[in-house]
Amino acid sequence: MNTRSLSFRLVAWYAGLLLLVFGLLGGLIFAAVGNYLEANLRDIQLRRAQQIADTLLSGARAGGDAELAAAVESLYAPEANDRFIRISSTDGRLLFASASPHDESFDPRSVPALRGPQAPQSVRHVPQAHSADLLIASVLRRNASGAGFLVEVGASTAPIRSLLRRLLAVLLVGLPLAVLATAAGGFFLVRRALEPVERIAQKAEAITQHNLSERLPVAHSGDQIERLSVSLNLMINRLEEAVHSSKRFVADASHELRTPLTVLRGELESLMRNALGRPTLRETLGSMLEEVDRLTAVVEGLLALSRLDTGEARTEWVSFDLAELVSTTAEQMSLLAEDKHIALVRDCAAPVMVEGSRARLKQVVVNLLDNAIKYTGDGGTVRLRVAIEGDKGAFEVHDTGIGIPAEALPHIFERFYRVERSRSRDQGGAGLGLSIVKSICTAHAASIDVQSTPDRGSRFRVLLPLASALAPAEPLPLPRATAT
Amino acid sequence: MRILVVEDERKLSDLIARALREERYAVDTACDGPSGWVMADTYEYDLIILDLMLPGLDGSEILKRTRRKNQHVPILVLTARDATEEKVRNFEAGADDYLTKPFAFAELLVRIKALLRRGPVSRASVLRVADLELDRLTQQVRRGGRRIELTAKEYALLEYLATHPGRVFSRTMIIEHVWDQSFEGLTNIVDVYVRHLRGKVDDPFPTKLIRTVRGAGYCIEDGRES
Repeated sequence: MNTRSLSFRLVAWYAGLLLLVFGLLGGLIFAAVGNYLEANLRDIQLRRAQQIADTLLSGARAGGDAELAAAVESLYAPEANDRFIRISSTDGRLLFASASPHDESFDPRSVPALRGPQAPQSVRHVPQAHSADLLIASVLRRNASGAGFLVEVGASTAPIRSLLRRLLAVLLVGLPLAVLATAAGGFFLVRRALEPVERIAQKAEAITQHNLSERLPVAHSGDQIERLSVSLNLMINRLEEAVHSSKRFVADASHELRTPLTVLRGELESLMRNALGRPTLRETLGSMLEEVDRLTAVVEGLLALSRLDTGEARTEWVSFDLAELVSTTAEQMSLLAEDKHIALVRDCAAPVMVEGSRARLKQVVVNLLDNAIKYTGDGGTVRLRVAIEGDKGAFEVHDTGIGIPAEALPHIFERFYRVERSRSRDQGGAGLGLSIVKSICTAHAASIDVQSTPDRGSRFRVLLPLASALAPAEPLPLPRATAT
Repeated sequence: MRILVVEDERKLSDLIARALREERYAVDTACDGPSGWVMADTYEYDLIILDLMLPGLDGSEILKRTRRKNQHVPILVLTARDATEEKVRNFEAGADDYLTKPFAFAELLVRIKALLRRGPVSRASVLRVADLELDRLTQQVRRGGRRIELTAKEYALLEYLATHPGRVFSRTMIIEHVWDQSFEGLTNIVDVYVRHLRGKVDDPFPTKLIRTVRGAGYCIEDGRES
């Protein structure tokens, strides 16, 4: 379980707080019940002691000790009721003492006599060796003649203790159980509450540069989640506008550059025609024309990219044999390889029918093959392979060239990215070839990946969806033509 | 031969006019749509070069009106847009050729010549540059009477250069004619093929016919001039 997740932390805080509150409440209840029971026991003992004292004073004292004992026994039956009763006179004479109770919860003989100056009534605890304390209430009374009696009535606190123990057990077991149950419920509720967030996150992850027009689902809950999704959607709006305007800017700027470039080229060509006898001037003009060419290549590349980004019409889409396309293209470029003594190995015998713009996909083949030849040294090998892999048509270009360093691999499809400054400048590249390849692949729902080891070689692989198996030989099925 | 240039970019129209006058054409220029239409409507031109984006009156509108009036004058359309649908639409509206900016002036001149010669002028079946001979029917090449074996691409390249001896062809033009647009930007392929072609056509002979023009491209010409 992720202990840093919002739901976990929320539930942990919730459970901790609950445990604290329940704990305090439990302690309070425990203390209150204990207090109440003891106060109750004390009141009962005191009242009883007073009753006995009243009886003693009002009743005929004439009957003597024996009569007193009989009266107490008959009225209170201390042994049967597990009570302690002791009556003594202030001069130290014992008038009555109860025997051991039936349940043996205390030993009456162990109760020491009350000493010192005596209040009219008092309560004290007498510890017992084998059981709970004995609570004893004492009442001191004097009759008209001035003779004093001390009445002591007591009972064991054992029932209170056992009751408190049971209460404690209930609290100790019940409390954590209650907290646990609440935490589980809370976890479930938090998960439910965060479900829209999960949906928003999944959708947000699926939105890339290519489907910026899509929006997140809005939960109409009138709370923070709704606000979050609405404001995220507004942010995507702004992003879409920014991306859109940056693309439009690139397209517009490239467009606007075309006319001045034409003029520039025309002026230079015209100067060139009139500079026949002056080799240095021709050299300078030639160099300027080369730069114009490069500018033109960049402008053309950017325009091609912006057209691919905005999604070209699919009017040129047909089903065709990718293996045949790769084979003929390789044939057309074979001299490039031959020139560097590179063996161009073709492994594309079986037809692989795919669907798309032949011209665009040929550009992919040309660019990848040209790169492979460009970056492979004399005497190397470039291998081309077209095959069916699962439900995809695969096209691979494998070279034994200089390779691409690992840190450059994630960037090679970016516009104007160069592995090394010096690497492709002198080859005249505009730095857009691979981004155009990538854009063409995206437009064809194809994926492209690359593996490379420096000094060993690179392998580019394009995976294209196969043409629908129903009509592999037909050049242009009707439904597609009307669907565009 | 009289040519009308309708182009709102003053510098570009001046440049085109200058290049055409160097080629001994009579040139009129118009800088906006309405005046372009008036001129096209009033005078008889042998060719009209028409920019599509014009102030006042759109180039496509001029194209349509001109076609309604005159079925025959060749019209070469210049544009900064090069979407395929756009091309198709303009060809349907009656454009004879289509050139996307930025273009090389050599390309413009080649296209103009092709448009002006179109029709009754038949294409010569044998092309000659100095002692080099290309037979376009059998695709055989001889120099000084000796037979030279070329691959199909080498032949196409040589034939393209030889259609206009002395004219400089940019690498982009060569790629578009001999290969196709998928190879755009891949200028080194031209250099490699030209080198191989030279190995067969020029190296065994004392006079060199294929010339490199730095920054501009290649041309084939009678070695005596340079």
